Amino acid sequence: MIALPPALLSVALPLVELLGVFSAEQFTRVLDSLERNLLTPIPLCFLLGIVCTRIHGGIKIPKELYLSIAIFLLMSIGFIGGHELAHEYHEHGVSTIWKPALATLVLGCVTPITSYVVLRYLGGMSIADSAGIAAHYGSTSAVTYAVANSFVEQTQHPANSFLPTLVTILECPGIAIALVLGAALSARERAQRSAATGKRAKESKLGEALYEVMTGQSIMLMAGLLVIGFISTLFMDPKGFQPFYDFFQSKGMLFRGLLCIFLLEMGLVAGERLGDLLKVGPFLVAFGIIMPLIHGFFGVWLGHLAGLNLGGCTVLGAIVASASYIAAPPAVRLTLPEANPTYSITAALAITFPFNIAFGIPIYFEMAKWVGAQ
Amino acid sequence: MQLYPLKLVTVVGEAVVMEDIAEKGIELGASGYTLSEVIGHGSRSARNVIDTGGAKTMKLEFVVPSEVAVEILTHVSHEYFEHYAIIAWLSDVSVVRGEQYTRRTGG
Repeated sequence: MIALPPALLSVALPLVELLGVFSAEQFTRVLDSLERNLLTPIPLCFLLGIVCTRIHGGIKIPKELYLSIAIFLLMSIGFIGGHELAHEYHEHGVSTIWKPALATLVLGCVTPITSYVVLRYLGGMSIADSAGIAAHYGSTSAVTYAVANSFVEQTQHPANSFLPTLVTILECPGIAIALVLGAALSARERAQRSAATGKRAKESKLGEALYEVMTGQSIMLMAGLLVIGFISTLFMDPKGFQPFYDFFQSKGMLFRGLLCIFLLEMGLVAGERLGDLLKVGPFLVAFGIIMPLIHGFFGVWLGHLAGLNLGGCTVLGAIVASASYIAAPPAVRLTLPEANPTYSITAALAITFPFNIAFGIPIYFEMAKWVGAQ
Repeated sequence: MQLYPLKLVTVVGEAVVMEDIAEKGIELGASGYTLSEVIGHGSRSARNVIDTGGAKTMKLEFVVPSEVAVEILTHVSHEYFEHYAIIAWLSDVSVVRGEQYTRRTGG
């Protein structure tokens, strides 16, 4: 158990019971899960990165190494995903896959809209800022997927084999919907303004931005390797296939080790962003924590309805809750230049990502148990 | 050695729009450009924190006759100054083999 002060615990427990959602026993189980997650190398490396930046320490990850690791992680997720998908397809056809895929697509379409509505009407943010942040939260973060997947494997509840397919499904529609919404609404606003000032309205770069998202590195590598893994599993002699599998899978060793280095770098970057928390204000900080919990719950719940296992529901919850900070920022910058990038990047990278890595994933795990996933 | 008096247009800002500006420069009459990744900090700096396409800062340079230089700077200031973190400036340069920079406009 995490050593919470007893006084705090005695206040917190009845409060949680009052909420009626979790019993005291479930609450301690969540704490237990948190502890099992927090005191593991991946979040600790992230923490080390943050601490190092704050105290001006000397860790420096070479840019080329960081980019190379990103390539390996994406290729590995795609390749192993494609391989597992081929097995699943071979055994069950599409019967087990189509429901989770549909659920993911629905989630990908709903999360940008819920985010937009909350930001615009509850937070009172501008159209461009709301849509820009919604694009980040509608999409997903492959690193959060990798960490969630490692977590469920560590807890001996590996996720369904086709989860990488769901990650690629989730990446695009969220960004697209938020950008289309934002571009349409702000084009109307801009047209009104240009009619008033007599200045020509600027053309939107929506098509170009969406093309760049679809053909960006994360989609190309992950979806590309998914197809390669799928085809080669079906058509290659298993003996010849084995070395490729061993390299990308490597009993999880390479993947997890490299993930530690990657998270260290993410920590260094997030640490620099911490100062911006003051600039974005309390609403966005709360949004960056509460919205993932809501989206995560829907992910877990729909995943359970679609027939995912315990690990699968947890991972789906985590990727639905996560916010993109690689594919979304340039697309938003091109399409909605009025949106302030400090808001969206800080929320995605300095609030939601650390929250998910440290607390979110074990919470989604407990939510998955709570909805009855096995 | 003959040196030709020309203008150097330098645009520094968000990577996400630099290629568009470079293409537009060519369209406006520049015979070429140089694009490089740089590190820096400015009043609107919200970048240089993570290595994604949109987060980088880039420097774009054109060597052009003065009328093309003015057109490029006008375009950049109209289209990008309002919302993007971008700065642009103009300097006088003396260029070796300068005739090839003036070919397109005939100047």
